[in-house]
Amino acid sequence: MTTPMLEIRDLHVRIAEREILKGVNLVVPKGEVHAIMGRNGSGKSTLSYVLAGKDDYEVTSGQVLLDGVDLLELEPSERATAGLFLAFQYPIEIPGVATMTFLKAAMNAQRKARGEAELTTPDFMRAVKEAGTALHVDTDMLKRALNVGFSGGEKKRAEILQMALLKPKMCILDETDSGLDIDALKLVSEGVNALRGPERSMLVITHYQRLLNHIVPDVVHVFSDGRVVESGGKELALQLEAKGYAEFDEAAA
Amino acid sequence: MRAPVRLGAAETTLVAQLQLAGATAEAERLGVAGLPTRRVEAYHYTDLKTLLRTVPPLAADATATGAPALDIPGAYRLLVANGRAQAHGTAPAGVIVGTTKGGALTERDDVLVRLNSALAAETLTLTLEGTIDPVIQIDRRTEGDAAHAPSSARIFLADGAAATIIETFSGSAAAHVSNHGSFVQLGKGARLTHITIDLSPRPATHFATTEYEIGADAQLRTLTIHAGAGLERTQLFARFGGEGAHADFTGLNLAAEGQHADITLEARHAKGHCTCKPLYKQIARGRSRAVFQGKIVVERDAQKTDAKLMMQGLMLSDEAEILSKPELEIFADDVVCGHGSTCGKLDEDSMFYLMSRGVPEAEAETMLVRGFIAELLDPIENEPLNEALQGVVDQWLEAR
Repeated sequence: MTTPMLEIRDLHVRIAEREILKGVNLVVPKGEVHAIMGRNGSGKSTLSYVLAGKDDYEVTSGQVLLDGVDLLELEPSERATAGLFLAFQYPIEIPGVATMTFLKAAMNAQRKARGEAELTTPDFMRAVKEAGTALHVDTDMLKRALNVGFSGGEKKRAEILQMALLKPKMCILDETDSGLDIDALKLVSEGVNALRGPERSMLVITHYQRLLNHIVPDVVHVFSDGRVVESGGKELALQLEAKGYAEFDEAAA
Repeated sequence: MRAPVRLGAAETTLVAQLQLAGATAEAERLGVAGLPTRRVEAYHYTDLKTLLRTVPPLAADATATGAPALDIPGAYRLLVANGRAQAHGTAPAGVIVGTTKGGALTERDDVLVRLNSALAAETLTLTLEGTIDPVIQIDRRTEGDAAHAPSSARIFLADGAAATIIETFSGSAAAHVSNHGSFVQLGKGARLTHITIDLSPRPATHFATTEYEIGADAQLRTLTIHAGAGLERTQLFARFGGEGAHADFTGLNLAAEGQHADITLEARHAKGHCTCKPLYKQIARGRSRAVFQGKIVVERDAQKTDAKLMMQGLMLSDEAEILSKPELEIFADDVVCGHGSTCGKLDEDSMFYLMSRGVPEAEAETMLVRGFIAELLDPIENEPLNEALQGVVDQWLEAR
């Protein structure tokens, strides 16, 4: 078996008194792209937030390893530095902070935490321009406040741009297709596919098969009632699209 | 008439100082009424009787040397030490500098104004014509041992004049009580950016009153920053005396552990067709108190006034207090006026988003606070000035 990039073992998570994740087991090997499909409310987004370290959730048991590092012990910023990246379903608007300023701060914070020298301004500009061209992100957009007034497509492109610049080992894409028209979906998917590589793994969370036509996964997991109930090849996604989630609910019960 | 109140040490000293200066009526008045308490509406959140325990002796003349508290490359600097204008370099074209005896504020039912008018020995006068190229800095300091230091300035912009003026307040690390006054008059079509920033050391008390008389079609931007003394109160009284003028009144209270910072604004529309946009922000951390009172008055004849007042507060600790009192007083019937006030902590979702990209918590906080303040500093176009102000904010943030 190949080396695991992400290993989730029997993960239980509560919010307030309600258990949302009820024993998630999932392994994403190095270089593979896995998809998680499940209906609304099955706990998919909770999983992505818990992995990234959002405060509101209580992990009651289980373990998450990123390339061998215990993720649950780390602050969100430390998880990012360790190589985790979450592309948000709803990227947050931050007024008063120029996108460019933010990108530079994030890149340099990660470099600093890894003991690398900060980027010079010309090097930074070059990197941004290079990554931006492929995603049709122009400099004007980057001068605007982070995500403020961005269209749905612009927000998702900006997320992928961040991913391209930060070069994470493990990318989690949370409903990256939501709010995108066909053209935007293609553009974003191409951006994601360009980042696939033997040293990078991805976990693509979606409830439509549509996205997986563009980002073709190695493995598909079906998520229901807070756990993985079925795993298979990419044909599993088609099966889901045809039959719906109902039959998997029984497996969860 | 009420029976005279019991005077505290601060009041006794002030009464004696007024008597010595020959301001008998003011001395008598203060002796009867005392300093304003929370029962006086304008001082409801800044109870001077409680907050001002002692007042040091009146300031002796002083000569100040050394670098200003805020260095602005390229600025034309005028130094006022303990209320006295110091020798200054050649004024830039269009600027006439002078001094007159006494204060500059108009008569007003306010204790700080009355004290300033009665005790200010000298007023620095600035007359400005045409477009003034360099930023003008009035560097007001209170030097030496703890002193009660009134100071005064009068700024006159001729019709069509344009200038950027920053008044910086600072001094030696003593328990000074500084009480500054500025009277600013904008002629027809004049354009002024007027910044006042308190950088006094923590043991000091900083009081400042600025009056604005705004002529027709004039454009005014003000920015008041409190980032210094333990007790700070800046009062702004503005009057729109001609039609077609616009003013952006803005300000920032930066209150840290043990500080009390108060900005009080009254914008009076006496003539119609003027617009006014007060925007004030307050950031408080530790056990501190930040106060904003903002009142827009629209007189009967001030039809077609368009005024929107906004206060936004950011609490960085559980013990901090942010107080806000927006008010509208409208006597005209064809106006658009509004006010709003919001207060909260740093947005958790925003913090998480920044941190999820690898930005550590403290740095994420700094980014968000800078973002919060950006709309106050961004309109200050002069680059060295903008950078200097940003530096003050950064220093405050780093002093955690």
